[in-house]
Amino acid sequence: MISQILGLVMLAYLLVAVLFLAAELWSSPRLQSWARVLLWAGLGVHTGALLGRWAGSYQLAALHSAPAVFADNLRLVILQAPLSNFYESLVFFAWTLPALGVISFRRHLQGYLGAVVAVLACLLLAYASFGGVDSRIKPLMPALKSNWLLIHVVTAFLGYAGFALAFGAAILYLLQDRRPRASLPPLAQLDRLIYRATVLGFLLLTLGILTGAVWAETAWGRYWSWDPKETWSLITWLIYATLLHARLLKGWQGRRIAWLAVLGFMAVLFTYFGVSFLLTGLHSYLT
Amino acid sequence: MAGRPRGLGLTLSMVTSPAQRQPKSWLWGSLTSIRLTVFLLLILAGVAVIGTVVPQDQPPGFYLMRYGQSLGAVIYYWGLARVYYSPWFLAPMGLLAVNISACLVQGLPRAVRRSLKPFTWEAALALPERGKFNWPAGVDPQARINAVLHRELGPGRRETLPDQEIYLFERGRYRPIGPYLVHLALLLILTGGLIGKFWGLEGSLPLDQGEVARTFQVGRNQHPLKFQVRLDKFLVQYYEKGGIPKEFRSDLTFLKDGREVARATCRVNDPVTFGGLTFYQSSYGSRPEGPVRLQVRHGGLDQTLELPPRRPVDLPGGEAQVMLVRVDGNLQGYGPAAQLALRGGAGHPQVFWVLQDHPELGQQPDHYQFRAESIPFQFYSVFQVKSDPGVWWVYAGFILLLPGFYLAFFRPAARWAVVLEGAASGGFKVRLLGASPRHREEFALSLERLLEGLEKGAPS
Repeated sequence: MISQILGLVMLAYLLVAVLFLAAELWSSPRLQSWARVLLWAGLGVHTGALLGRWAGSYQLAALHSAPAVFADNLRLVILQAPLSNFYESLVFFAWTLPALGVISFRRHLQGYLGAVVAVLACLLLAYASFGGVDSRIKPLMPALKSNWLLIHVVTAFLGYAGFALAFGAAILYLLQDRRPRASLPPLAQLDRLIYRATVLGFLLLTLGILTGAVWAETAWGRYWSWDPKETWSLITWLIYATLLHARLLKGWQGRRIAWLAVLGFMAVLFTYFGVSFLLTGLHSYLT
Repeated sequence: MAGRPRGLGLTLSMVTSPAQRQPKSWLWGSLTSIRLTVFLLLILAGVAVIGTVVPQDQPPGFYLMRYGQSLGAVIYYWGLARVYYSPWFLAPMGLLAVNISACLVQGLPRAVRRSLKPFTWEAALALPERGKFNWPAGVDPQARINAVLHRELGPGRRETLPDQEIYLFERGRYRPIGPYLVHLALLLILTGGLIGKFWGLEGSLPLDQGEVARTFQVGRNQHPLKFQVRLDKFLVQYYEKGGIPKEFRSDLTFLKDGREVARATCRVNDPVTFGGLTFYQSSYGSRPEGPVRLQVRHGGLDQTLELPPRRPVDLPGGEAQVMLVRVDGNLQGYGPAAQLALRGGAGHPQVFWVLQDHPELGQQPDHYQFRAESIPFQFYSVFQVKSDPGVWWVYAGFILLLPGFYLAFFRPAARWAVVLEGAASGGFKVRLLGASPRHREEFALSLERLLEGLEKGAPS
């Protein structure tokens, strides 16, 4: 049921992308606002689907061990957040893109930029739906039974989303830089958006790494184990730290920053997909 | 591209104008340079990539097998097999720590001084002028100024001079400290790592049910405990048979001189601390406690068989041998099970499970049917045992990062002043002054709103 709804959300995002593109091509404010309305609608339904899945896994867990007191109940609710396997992480990642995009880019989330974000979200949902990913709700394994699960996964994926937004803006920057087009946002604005999204992503990724470290300390007795996922998140962090230092202290701007944002996002993708599929480690329960 | 730093957010001391900088040695200049920082960050990222591509902490033979004689030897003997503990990683990391420290030493005192310096009316009058208004006599100037600026900038204060009134608004006063807090936090985290490395203790402790331990294993040595610890019971539970494990749990009792002092339950994600050491549930297993009794059916004949662990036993008829490989106290929630290997003739042995409570499960080998009558076993549980005095430094660093990031990225520094003078007409002459050298974008937006507000009055 929820997977079908998510299929509709995927189509909605695709339509949003088409509308944004069409609005740009025919410079039509009306299409622009339709696209925005549909984006909000898709985001709303997507949020509902996430909550529905949350309720579903809570009910499943309550079947196995019904919580007696309020505190137990609250803990069970926190534990059963739909973030415990690869499918759920894809769905959540797809949600963070438009959600953070609306917050971070505000009115700039339209036209080509809006289309890029909608396409990325659509691709993630398409992968979740058609990529042969197991979408069943399963009970939590002992390693994931921690209050840190929710905050760790949420901050990490919001961080990824910030970097994805910076990547989207960087791609547009590089296109615009190569062959200027009046319909694309001006270079200076894209440059600012890259920076803004990168700062947001950097803060959130830092929080994701910190909460992961605290969790690892309580679960395994080691806040840092050089597990491939940890190491790649550190590599990602180092690349974006380089970007921020280069921009803020060396005054780098424009093309070089855009390329660093692209490189950083490649590292993000490897941290998320590459590590899960190519390398094994402590985070391998994601697949 | 402009080579000039635009500095929208964080700044360490490295980019000050040359005029302000005292002549420093070449070494100090290099240590505090941003070029070194960027170089080190990229080197560290590159070395970390090697560490995830080359499997770490394997015996030398592994690398020779996998990468060939020459490359394998290079990888092993150049320390790439333990790259995070090798000079390839530690040297740039150490240099980065020096780089950060040097920048802190150079810039932190100045940032603190700048933050502590109060915003005086003299300083306010030196700010560049951003707008000028003439208000008619009917306007209540104080109310309008407060309404417009308070909404945009938060609370301010007023200074009264003989012929004019000055309203002062300062935002992000402590912002200059932010980046230094972030970098101080990183140093704390690195320090914590070093403390853990030198003064921490990390080992493992396997315990059978009922066993009492007086030592635990650190590297290859046994390290004495200042107390004794006993595993009373180990339990593995499944949500449903054949499904996902629900809980691994070890009930521990701590003893001093044979007397019980404390009891505790250790689970994954729920460690136990006693006597300065923390015990983490890290793995578990079962070991056979005596021979496994089996019924074997072969060619219509039943026979009872006793299998001691890991010793081949001839099967009736003498055509094959069977060996007990291992036991599992709760195989995927189906209860006790024994893994057997059967070899008949020259082929590969067939390996299969026999379950005591579920004889229908598990694949039986060709020509034979096995049923388990009793599988005596004992659970054991393995703990990670640790003390790390560096953790608190690391956590302190984590906590310090938060205000550091907040100040650095969310408190754009800006100073504003409104100067109010009585005009001959009975009205007022108003001037808006302000500056924000590092946050021009936010400043421009604020300026637009303030000019509009001061011109028309705040919308009610």
